[in-house]
Amino acid sequence: MKALIANRLTDGEVVFWNDGAWVERFADAQLFDDDAQAQAVEAQGQAQSTLVVDVYLIDLVEADGIWTPLSYRERLKALGPTNRLDHGKQVEGGAVVDALSHAHTSARSTGRVNLIKRK
Amino acid sequence: MYRYDTLDKEFLADRTAEFREQTARRLAGEITEDQFKPIRLMNGLYLQLHAYMLRVAIPYGSLDSRQLRKLAWIARTYDKGYGHFTTRTNLQFHWIKLADTPDILDALASVDMHAIQTSGNCIRNVTADPFAGATAEEIDDPRVWSEAMRQWSSLHPEFSFLPRKFKIAVTAAPQDRTAAKVHDIGLVIKRARDGALGFEVMVGGGLGRTPYIGSTIREFLPASRLVSYLEAILRVYNRHGRRDNIYKARIKILVAALGAEEFARQVEEEWEKIGTASDLPDTELARIRAAFAPAVFETLPARSEAFEVAKASNPAFARFVRNNVKPHKKAGYAIVEVSLKAIGETPGDASADQMEVVADLAERYGQDDIRVTHEQNLVLPHVKLDDLATVHAGLAAAGLATPNINLISDIIACPGLDYCALANARAIPVAQHIAEKFADQDRAETIGELKIKISGCINACGHHHVGHIGILGVDKKGEEFYQLTLGGSGAEDAAVGQILGPALPANRVAESVDTLVEVYLRERGEGERFLDTFRRLGVAPFKEAVYAEAH
Amino acid sequence: MPKLIRWRDGDAVLDDSAFTAVADEDDVPAGDVIISLSRFQSEGERLLSEGRAVGVRLEASENVEDLVYDLPRIAVVAVAFPKFRDGRGYTTADLLRARYGYRGEVRAVGDVLREQAGFMVRVGFDAFEPADGATPEQWRHAANRHRHVYQRAADGRAPAFAERGE
Repeated sequence: MKALIANRLTDGEVVFWNDGAWVERFADAQLFDDDAQAQAVEAQGQAQSTLVVDVYLIDLVEADGIWTPLSYRERLKALGPTNRLDHGKQVEGGAVVDALSHAHTSARSTGRVNLIKRK
Repeated sequence: MYRYDTLDKEFLADRTAEFREQTARRLAGEITEDQFKPIRLMNGLYLQLHAYMLRVAIPYGSLDSRQLRKLAWIARTYDKGYGHFTTRTNLQFHWIKLADTPDILDALASVDMHAIQTSGNCIRNVTADPFAGATAEEIDDPRVWSEAMRQWSSLHPEFSFLPRKFKIAVTAAPQDRTAAKVHDIGLVIKRARDGALGFEVMVGGGLGRTPYIGSTIREFLPASRLVSYLEAILRVYNRHGRRDNIYKARIKILVAALGAEEFARQVEEEWEKIGTASDLPDTELARIRAAFAPAVFETLPARSEAFEVAKASNPAFARFVRNNVKPHKKAGYAIVEVSLKAIGETPGDASADQMEVVADLAERYGQDDIRVTHEQNLVLPHVKLDDLATVHAGLAAAGLATPNINLISDIIACPGLDYCALANARAIPVAQHIAEKFADQDRAETIGELKIKISGCINACGHHHVGHIGILGVDKKGEEFYQLTLGGSGAEDAAVGQILGPALPANRVAESVDTLVEVYLRERGEGERFLDTFRRLGVAPFKEAVYAEAH
Repeated sequence: MPKLIRWRDGDAVLDDSAFTAVADEDDVPAGDVIISLSRFQSEGERLLSEGRAVGVRLEASENVEDLVYDLPRIAVVAVAFPKFRDGRGYTTADLLRARYGYRGEVRAVGDVLREQAGFMVRVGFDAFEPADGATPEQWRHAANRHRHVYQRAADGRAPAFAERGE
């Protein structure tokens, strides 16, 4: 299962693809179990260069019925920093934020599909 | 302090106007991200995990109360009410919007500040001794030369697209508080036997994937020839530095590949052709020097009754003096180090409120002079002993008086995976756990000088290679692991740390540091710091102790 | 002929390239041409003797020193930027002007973008083949953004300290 993540150009906010729009909460992200569909959407997102930057697919893993990013970096992107729990998306709380915060599963380093090397 | 005149202010205004236009073009889609990225980097703007990060330049670590208050205002207005001081004495804001950045740069320019070239493949902030102008040890004021280099390097048309970033540090005292030996260029101010002022020039130091101690390519460069010599070095680097592999693009790789001798020869050959055309005239050097004319000091007795009484009656103040106060060249004055390493807090962070406290104290009691160190702390370089207790009380009320300078809990840590897109692991929680483990101040003083430096990835922004104990975050199958090194030093006795053993999981790092400390306390000789004991014994007893417990 | 932006006395105008850029594998057509350094080294003499103006394209990895002897006879040096981030061309141009006193045309070719106009003009470029469709007006605007400079370069602009009348 995958999701599409990016940063919004104007403010750097982490956003996720949902059916043609970019949403701020991981809980609202569209999930893709079809690789071809995911890649098509990724190409669409990458073409929106005045809206978003650093667009890429991430792998998800399921725990207790909730899908979370496989990689620790992307869980942090979906949550916020661990040294300031009063900053970032985690402040909102809720079931998905809780699941992300407590995810213990071992994560692959980048979680980025195709392991494209970042600069 | 260097005061901007009309020309300097117009320079900043033109620069911010330029970036405003460039940002508008990017938002309108007229330039691509690929084309825009070096531009925004050269204006200090990174895209990080959660938002953009703006790195404000604090040239040679020096600022005044007006500027620090503006940083506090920017933190409140555009960020989340705090900033992070870095190992290159700059200030980072971690929650910035691209769309706000032109306005932020205008706000900075209004107090003669900027974010010029704090990132990108160009010449970065020149750093210098934070005790400049206050310590009796210095041969000359390194700020004079740092300001000269700042101007020379700003929007240098030939050197704005180097193979990679370029960092210069200037030290002027026997004790090196700038880590000059691990910079692309490290300058050591010297006097020749005839009294002439000059520099020892070291090139090719650096940390990161391949750490190097810099090589001296010129023992003595007459001070007036600084700019032309730098141009020679930069030109050789610009032409011959590798551009095929970003991990091999720093000047240290070129110096290692050619050998220091051949590199020096090429520089001298180029320098001879450059001649004196680009050297600063004496009048300009004098103008800059005048800006740093010694602060007006009162004639005071060496001994301050108020100070002695306060020490005798307040153990907390006495402890603060023992650890955070250093001798000043003027009788009756002292250098005060302000720790941004409160136990359990994020190393190097200061809230807007805290910034204002420091600004107020500096203005009232400190000649309006504030410095930033490369160990992520602040300095009030000119405080009267008579006022020290008052200053301490003001700092203490704001959580800025932790008496741990150079002690085990005075940890350098990069922002790490909590903020940084380049990181493999978090650094901040590791620093916090270690600090908490050594929160007992008596124990910390017993241990003495012990510099722990933590980096969240091999880019080494936390300077882990030169930590007495260095900690490098690595990613092992998606889990955070930490590689420890021992025996590094960023001072005049610079050395790259030695690997202790296999990387440890996060939950073993603080206890392993404890074990290392126990070995040191057990084995140390008279007057030996941790670093000295390590140098005497080598890594074996430390390694054995840490990894024996794995059974 | 590709359109060229020509820089003269602080102003930018559109002009014809006036030179045909010729790849190594192609025959040299009639008229004024820009050829590679290696081609110049083997055929330059002959081409010049035919009464043409000849220019040399210098790649980022090539040394301007290899041209110095022939500079008086070279009409154009086309300095290539394989990627706008490759800064070697700035050194090449500065050396051509300030060290070797070259008075011919120094042309920026390749990944040439208007946001770098200011730097290019300062190091002595006086002709540009923009890769981003920049107009002369846009080029002039970008190049003239800074009222003051802090260091000496090939353009001879007075650095700030000289402006202060010291």
